[in-house]
Amino acid sequence: MTDDVSEADAHLDFDMEDEADDAGEHAEAIPLGDPCLVVDDLHIVFRVFGGKTAESARAQGIHVQDAEPPRRSLVKRLLGAGRQHVGAVSEVHAVRGVSFMARHGESIGIVGINGSGKSTLLRAITGLIPPHSGSVYVDGEPALLGVNAALMPQMTGAKNIEIGGLALGMTPKQVDERFDEVVEFADIGDFVDMPMKTYSSGMAARLRFAISSAAIPDILMVDEALATGDAAFKARSKARIAEVRQQAGTVFLVSHSISTIEAMCTRVLWMHQGQLVMDGPVEEVTAAYREFVRAHRQARSGGQAGGRRRKRNGGGGSQGSGGRARRQDKARAPDA
Amino acid sequence: MPATSSAERRAEAEKYGLTKMGVRPPLWTYIKDVARRGPFIRVLGTSTAYARNQNTYLGQLWAVLNPILNASVYVLIFGMLLNVSRGVDNTIAFIVIGVFLFRFVEQSVNGGAQSIAKRSNLIRSLHFPRAVLPLSNVMSHLTTLVPSLVVMCLIVLGSGLLPGYDPVPLTWEWLLLVPAVGLLWVFNMGIAFIMARLVAITPDLDNVISFVLRLTMYASGVIFPVVRYVNELPQWMQGWTTTILEYQPVAVYLYLARASLMNEDAFLQDPFKWWLGIIWAVVFFVAGFIIFWRGEERYGRD
Repeated sequence: MTDDVSEADAHLDFDMEDEADDAGEHAEAIPLGDPCLVVDDLHIVFRVFGGKTAESARAQGIHVQDAEPPRRSLVKRLLGAGRQHVGAVSEVHAVRGVSFMARHGESIGIVGINGSGKSTLLRAITGLIPPHSGSVYVDGEPALLGVNAALMPQMTGAKNIEIGGLALGMTPKQVDERFDEVVEFADIGDFVDMPMKTYSSGMAARLRFAISSAAIPDILMVDEALATGDAAFKARSKARIAEVRQQAGTVFLVSHSISTIEAMCTRVLWMHQGQLVMDGPVEEVTAAYREFVRAHRQARSGGQAGGRRRKRNGGGGSQGSGGRARRQDKARAPDA
Repeated sequence: MPATSSAERRAEAEKYGLTKMGVRPPLWTYIKDVARRGPFIRVLGTSTAYARNQNTYLGQLWAVLNPILNASVYVLIFGMLLNVSRGVDNTIAFIVIGVFLFRFVEQSVNGGAQSIAKRSNLIRSLHFPRAVLPLSNVMSHLTTLVPSLVVMCLIVLGSGLLPGYDPVPLTWEWLLLVPAVGLLWVFNMGIAFIMARLVAITPDLDNVISFVLRLTMYASGVIFPVVRYVNELPQWMQGWTTTILEYQPVAVYLYLARASLMNEDAFLQDPFKWWLGIIWAVVFFVAGFIIFWRGEERYGRD
């Protein structure tokens, strides 16, 4: 896995949080428009230098393969003794053959346990990580709600609004026009003239969200952005997401909180080990996913991994996806 | 959603006029994209320059202090102790101009090399033509160079007041330093593009850069006029070594800057070198841009 993906996931061991204030809410269904995103048999492969050996990574269920050609010369084999430190290159197959289609006005949640390829998929459909094979077609410019990487903690909030806005492709004039709106939305007051490293984590998160949603994109991708911030801010972000959908935009949301997904999405993609296990209406998929997480958790604590998992596949999911889930389980068998 | 085949999905994408992601845009579109990001390049560059020196007590002063200290060491060792400045009267001006300007080249090469590799996080979270990164990196070094150029000019002026040195007159010719640095900037952007692509694809090259740079430093006459040592080489090497040492880009830019500031027979204004400076700048910038553009879809994959 890449750094940023594992970083985002590292602090959460398991992916099912229920948040009381989201419970019972449902995303408003908006009549769907034409397709705005087509993902066709997408594969993403990362090159990893050094680090874990392929064997140990594979033991953890990550799909790793050696980047070297299978036939190795004598020299290569002699060098092989120090392979983990010299010239060790392996490939991580983070997304393996995902296909789906999204329409204007849809709000799509992506669920899956840590390291299942959710964030990578999100970045790939934004066009940020070039596909290894397969393709992504979009209408308009997708934007990931993750302007953080462009921001500089040493600079003031005001400067960061400028940097972030320009990084998102706004013109200097647009940045000027939206400046007050962003400050107000982030609710940081006079701190706007202080370096961003002096902000509390909540303030920084609010400012990041405010900057990245200043430009209303055609396709908005949200990756765990709602995990921070107080209730009032959460309500405002939801309103912002609804705004994008009203303007015939499409929203993708990766969240560890199933209730957030249930409250804000109309459709859910369930990723597991880089493959799409299930794709369907929100209730159907989250029900199956809850079941899976519960079984997975018990398997971890009880140690009877195989048995539990197989049981889950029999029960959960619609017909089509059940088949897919079973196929994917078989693929894992030799690794376990 | 009903299952669709790959061909059906692609037909659907075509029907609704969707564009394919992760494909390198045509060169002309790419140039326009980069040009539109001009303000972003400027703001990112100046902010990076500012942030670089922010965590010290003397703050932005270090942008100027650093090259001064660097130049002092070379003046002390090469100018005074070893006295290797054959045929140059004002050793201090010679070394100070060389060190200050070569620092810009060095920073651009190193910065360009790191610009993609070190910012993979940014590449993986936002959409913009990647050429913005090497460009803003060179811009950040230019930002710190400008105040230090003022200091450089003051040192050159002041060196004329020292005993044993001819006075340095302040003439209109000094204004030619601006186009000389401008050309060097264009050249540096070209170099940064090339380095960015090389290191992004093969990170190992990053380790070789410092050696190449050190060789370039001595081969460009940064701290002593290396061309004047060629006659110590065997006869058959002298001809082409002189040509390379004298007309390679970095040496040309240093010559142009010295010709502008120093009032010496060894550094007279030379139209041929100005043309050469323009040609090197254009060649490196255009070649660098194209080389970088050809790798556009690959940045950020690993």
